[in-house]
Amino acid sequence: MAKETRKEDEGGEFAEFLADVSEEIALRVESLQTPSQPVPAEKKKTPVVADGGVIVEWPNIADRMIEEMR
Amino acid sequence: MSVVNYGTREITCKIVYYGPGRSGKTTNLQHVYSKLPEERKGKMVSLATETDRTLFFDFLPLDLGTISGFATRFQLYTVPGQVYYAATRKLVLQGVDGVVFVADSQSRQMAENVESLQDLHANLAEEGHDPRSIPLVMQYNKRDLPGSEISSVEELDETLNFRGVPHFSATAITGGGVFETLRSISTLVLSRLSAPATRT
Repeated sequence: MAKETRKEDEGGEFAEFLADVSEEIALRVESLQTPSQPVPAEKKKTPVVADGGVIVEWPNIADRMIEEMR
Repeated sequence: MSVVNYGTREITCKIVYYGPGRSGKTTNLQHVYSKLPEERKGKMVSLATETDRTLFFDFLPLDLGTISGFATRFQLYTVPGQVYYAATRKLVLQGVDGVVFVADSQSRQMAENVESLQDLHANLAEEGHDPRSIPLVMQYNKRDLPGSEISSVEELDETLNFRGVPHFSATAITGGGVFETLRSISTLVLSRLSAPATRT
Protein backbone atom coordinates (compact mmCIF):
# COMPACT_ATOMS: atom_id res chain seq x y z
CA MET A 1 0.00 0.00 0.00
CA ALA A 2 1.59 3.27 -1.05
CA LYS A 3 0.74 6.28 1.03
CA GLU A 4 1.22 9.92 0.15
CA THR A 5 0.76 13.00 2.24
CA ARG A 6 0.21 16.32 0.48
CA LYS A 7 0.48 19.57 2.37
CA GLU A 8 1.97 22.94 1.57
CA ASP A 9 5.44 23.87 2.74
CA GLU A 10 4.05 26.61 4.95
CA GLY A 11 7.13 27.25 7.01
CA GLY A 12 9.66 26.91 4.22
CA GLU A 13 11.32 24.14 6.22
CA PHE A 14 12.46 22.36 3.11
CA ALA A 15 13.85 25.57 1.63
CA GLU A 16 15.88 26.17 4.79
CA PHE A 17 17.10 22.60 4.75
CA LEU A 18 18.09 22.87 1.11
CA ALA A 19 19.96 26.11 1.75
CA ASP A 20 21.93 24.52 4.59
CA VAL A 21 22.73 21.41 2.59
CA SER A 22 23.76 23.49 -0.42
CA GLU A 23 26.10 25.54 1.74
CA GLU A 24 27.67 22.43 3.21
CA ILE A 25 28.12 20.81 -0.20
CA ALA A 26 29.58 23.97 -1.70
CA LEU A 27 32.06 24.12 1.14
CA ARG A 28 33.05 20.50 0.77
CA VAL A 29 33.24 20.44 -2.99
CA GLU A 30 35.31 23.61 -3.02
CA SER A 31 37.80 22.19 -0.60
CA LEU A 32 37.98 18.91 -2.48
CA GLN A 33 38.45 20.59 -5.84
CA THR A 34 41.16 22.96 -4.71
CA PRO A 35 44.38 21.81 -6.38
CA SER A 36 46.31 19.87 -3.88
CA GLN A 37 49.00 21.94 -2.26
CA PRO A 38 52.57 20.90 -2.89
CA VAL A 39 53.97 19.04 0.00
CA PRO A 40 55.82 21.63 2.02
CA ALA A 41 59.52 21.18 2.10
CA GLU A 42 60.80 19.71 5.24
CA LYS A 43 61.62 22.37 7.74
CA LYS A 44 65.22 23.19 7.64
CA LYS A 45 67.14 21.90 10.52
CA THR A 46 68.34 24.35 13.01
CA PRO A 47 72.05 24.71 12.64
CA VAL A 48 73.80 22.50 15.03
CA VAL A 49 75.69 24.59 17.47
CA ALA A 50 78.70 23.14 19.13
CA ASP A 51 79.91 24.08 22.51
CA GLY A 52 81.17 27.60 22.54
CA GLY A 53 78.55 28.87 20.03
CA VAL A 54 80.37 27.78 16.91
CA ILE A 55 78.00 26.64 14.15
CA VAL A 56 79.36 23.38 12.90
CA GLU A 57 76.60 22.24 10.49
CA TRP A 58 74.36 24.26 8.15
CA PRO A 59 71.44 22.82 6.22
CA ASN A 60 72.02 22.51 2.49
CA ILE A 61 72.95 25.99 1.28
CA ALA A 62 71.32 25.61 -2.17
CA ASP A 63 67.98 24.72 -0.59
CA ARG A 64 68.19 27.77 1.56
CA MET A 65 68.90 30.03 -1.42
CA ILE A 66 65.95 28.65 -3.37
CA GLU A 67 63.73 29.16 -0.40
CA GLU A 68 64.87 32.77 -0.05
CA MET A 69 64.06 33.47 -3.73
CA ARG A 70 60.44 32.26 -3.44
CA MET B 1 27.71 3.38 -0.75
CA SER B 2 29.87 5.98 -2.41
CA VAL B 3 28.79 9.35 -1.14
CA VAL B 4 30.42 11.41 -3.87
CA ASN B 5 31.07 10.31 -7.43
CA TYR B 6 33.33 12.68 -9.33
CA GLY B 7 32.97 10.72 -12.53
CA THR B 8 29.22 11.15 -12.83
CA ARG B 9 29.15 14.35 -10.76
CA GLU B 10 26.69 12.88 -8.29
CA ILE B 11 26.32 13.00 -4.57
CA THR B 12 24.09 10.34 -3.08
CA CYS B 13 23.45 9.97 0.61
CA LYS B 14 21.53 7.15 2.20
CA ILE B 15 20.04 7.99 5.56
CA VAL B 16 18.21 5.37 7.60
CA TYR B 17 15.72 6.11 10.35
CA TYR B 18 16.10 3.39 12.94
CA GLY B 19 14.28 2.75 16.20
CA PRO B 20 11.73 0.60 17.96
CA GLY B 21 8.27 -0.07 16.58
CA ARG B 22 5.86 2.87 16.76
CA SER B 23 8.56 5.37 17.71
CA GLY B 24 7.68 7.64 14.79
CA LYS B 25 10.13 6.82 12.01
CA THR B 26 7.51 6.76 9.26
CA THR B 27 5.94 9.92 10.68
CA ASN B 28 9.28 11.68 10.25
CA LEU B 29 9.40 10.79 6.56
CA GLN B 30 5.76 11.72 6.08
CA HIS B 31 6.43 15.16 7.48
CA VAL B 32 9.46 15.68 5.24
CA TYR B 33 7.40 14.53 2.28
CA SER B 34 4.58 16.89 3.17
CA LYS B 35 6.96 19.84 3.06
CA LEU B 36 8.47 19.10 -0.33
CA PRO B 37 7.59 21.56 -3.08
CA GLU B 38 5.51 19.96 -5.81
CA GLU B 39 8.29 20.02 -8.39
CA ARG B 40 10.53 17.96 -6.13
CA LYS B 41 7.91 15.50 -5.00
CA GLY B 42 8.69 12.03 -6.10
CA LYS B 43 6.82 9.16 -4.63
CA MET B 44 7.11 8.18 -1.03
CA VAL B 45 6.78 4.45 -0.86
CA SER B 46 5.41 3.08 2.34
CA LEU B 47 4.49 -0.53 2.78
CA ALA B 48 2.27 -0.89 5.80
CA THR B 49 -0.03 -3.40 7.35
CA GLU B 50 -3.74 -2.68 7.83
CA THR B 51 -2.94 -1.29 11.24
CA ASP B 52 -0.41 1.12 9.75
CA ARG B 53 2.66 -0.71 11.01
CA THR B 54 5.57 -0.54 8.61
CA LEU B 55 5.76 -3.94 6.99
CA PHE B 56 8.90 -3.71 4.92
CA PHE B 57 10.36 -0.23 4.85
CA ASP B 58 9.58 3.32 3.81
CA PHE B 59 11.55 4.99 1.08
CA LEU B 60 11.61 8.69 0.32
CA PRO B 61 13.90 9.87 -2.48
CA LEU B 62 14.89 13.52 -2.13
CA ASP B 63 16.18 15.01 -5.35
CA LEU B 64 17.85 18.24 -4.29
CA GLY B 65 18.84 19.27 -7.80
CA THR B 66 22.31 20.29 -8.93
CA ILE B 67 24.39 21.80 -6.16
CA SER B 68 27.86 23.10 -6.95
CA GLY B 69 27.83 21.06 -10.14
CA PHE B 70 26.78 17.84 -8.47
CA ALA B 71 23.40 16.19 -8.90
CA THR B 72 22.48 15.66 -5.27
CA ARG B 73 20.13 12.99 -4.00
CA PHE B 74 19.24 11.98 -0.50
CA GLN B 75 17.55 8.67 0.05
CA LEU B 76 15.63 8.40 3.29
CA TYR B 77 14.66 4.97 4.56
CA THR B 78 12.96 3.63 7.64
CA VAL B 79 13.23 0.13 9.01
CA PRO B 80 10.36 -1.88 10.45
CA GLY B 81 10.73 -1.60 14.20
CA GLN B 82 9.23 -4.88 15.28
CA VAL B 83 11.83 -7.34 16.44
CA TYR B 84 10.82 -10.08 14.03
CA TYR B 85 11.81 -8.05 10.96
CA ALA B 86 15.52 -8.35 11.73
CA ALA B 87 16.44 -9.50 8.22
CA THR B 88 14.76 -6.48 6.65
CA ARG B 89 16.60 -4.11 8.95
CA LYS B 90 19.93 -5.59 7.92
CA LEU B 91 18.96 -5.25 4.28
CA VAL B 92 17.97 -1.61 4.64
CA LEU B 93 21.22 -0.80 6.45
CA GLN B 94 23.33 -1.91 3.51
CA GLY B 95 25.28 1.03 2.15
CA VAL B 96 24.00 3.41 4.81
CA ASP B 97 25.78 6.75 5.17
CA GLY B 98 24.04 8.03 8.28
CA VAL B 99 21.50 6.95 10.88
CA VAL B 100 18.78 8.79 12.75
CA PHE B 101 17.82 6.84 15.84
CA VAL B 102 14.20 7.68 16.65
CA ALA B 103 13.60 6.90 20.30
CA ASP B 104 10.17 6.76 21.88
CA SER B 105 10.19 9.14 24.85
CA GLN B 106 7.56 7.15 26.76
CA SER B 107 9.09 5.81 29.95
CA ARG B 108 7.56 2.40 29.42
CA GLN B 109 9.30 2.16 26.04
CA MET B 110 12.82 2.65 27.37
CA ALA B 111 13.66 -1.05 27.26
CA GLU B 112 12.52 -1.20 23.62
CA ASN B 113 14.72 1.80 22.83
CA VAL B 114 17.73 0.12 24.36
CA GLU B 115 17.01 -3.16 22.59
CA SER B 116 16.64 -1.40 19.25
CA LEU B 117 19.87 0.54 19.75
CA GLN B 118 21.72 -2.67 20.53
CA ASP B 119 20.16 -4.21 17.42
CA LEU B 120 21.36 -1.23 15.39
CA HIS B 121 24.91 -1.60 16.64
CA ALA B 122 24.95 -5.32 15.97
CA ASN B 123 23.59 -4.87 12.45
CA LEU B 124 25.97 -2.03 11.64
CA ALA B 125 28.90 -4.13 12.76
CA GLU B 126 27.63 -7.02 10.70
CA GLU B 127 27.46 -4.74 7.66
CA GLY B 128 31.05 -3.69 8.19
CA HIS B 129 30.34 -0.27 9.69
CA ASP B 130 31.92 0.97 12.88
CA PRO B 131 28.97 1.73 15.18
CA ARG B 132 31.17 4.15 17.10
CA SER B 133 31.98 6.35 14.15
CA ILE B 134 29.13 6.19 11.64
CA PRO B 135 27.23 9.51 11.45
CA LEU B 136 24.40 9.24 13.97
CA VAL B 137 21.92 11.59 15.58
CA MET B 138 19.37 10.81 18.25
CA GLN B 139 15.79 12.00 18.09
CA TYR B 140 13.67 11.83 21.24
CA ASN B 141 10.18 11.74 19.81
CA LYS B 142 6.72 12.20 21.31
CA ARG B 143 7.74 15.09 23.55
CA ASP B 144 4.13 16.30 23.36
CA LEU B 145 2.92 13.51 25.66
CA PRO B 146 2.19 14.32 29.32
CA GLY B 147 5.30 14.72 31.42
CA SER B 148 4.25 11.88 33.69
CA GLU B 149 4.43 9.44 30.76
CA ILE B 150 7.76 10.38 29.25
CA SER B 151 11.36 10.21 30.32
CA SER B 152 13.31 13.42 30.58
CA VAL B 153 15.70 14.31 27.78
CA GLU B 154 18.55 13.97 30.26
CA GLU B 155 17.47 10.46 31.17
CA LEU B 156 17.12 9.46 27.51
CA ASP B 157 20.48 10.96 26.74
CA GLU B 158 22.14 9.19 29.62
CA THR B 159 20.64 5.83 28.70
CA LEU B 160 20.91 5.95 24.91
CA ASN B 161 23.40 8.56 23.84
CA PHE B 162 26.67 7.20 25.12
CA ARG B 163 28.47 8.48 22.02
CA GLY B 164 27.38 12.01 22.83
CA VAL B 165 26.04 12.61 19.32
CA PRO B 166 23.65 15.49 18.53
CA HIS B 167 20.20 14.88 19.98
CA PHE B 168 16.85 16.49 19.23
CA SER B 169 13.51 16.61 20.96
CA ALA B 170 10.72 16.06 18.49
CA THR B 171 7.02 15.83 18.00
CA ALA B 172 7.07 14.24 14.59
CA ILE B 173 3.30 14.06 14.37
CA THR B 174 3.20 17.86 14.11
CA GLY B 175 6.62 18.19 12.51
CA GLY B 176 8.47 19.57 15.51
CA GLY B 177 12.15 18.70 15.36
CA VAL B 178 11.88 16.71 12.14
CA PHE B 179 13.85 19.01 9.86
CA GLU B 180 16.30 19.92 12.61
CA THR B 181 17.11 16.24 12.90
CA LEU B 182 17.40 15.78 9.14
CA ARG B 183 19.60 18.85 8.81
CA SER B 184 21.93 17.57 11.50
CA ILE B 185 22.39 14.10 10.06
CA SER B 186 22.81 15.55 6.57
CA THR B 187 25.56 17.85 7.75
CA LEU B 188 27.31 15.00 9.52
CA VAL B 189 27.14 12.80 6.44
CA LEU B 190 28.30 15.55 4.10
CA SER B 191 31.16 16.45 6.40
CA ARG B 192 32.58 13.05 5.62
CA LEU B 193 32.80 13.73 1.92
CA SER B 194 36.28 12.82 0.98
CA ALA B 195 38.41 13.17 -2.08
CA PRO B 196 38.70 10.10 -4.26
CA ALA B 197 41.97 8.25 -4.19
CA THR B 198 42.99 9.66 -7.55
CA ARG B 199 41.73 12.64 -9.46
CA THR B 200 42.41 13.87 -12.95
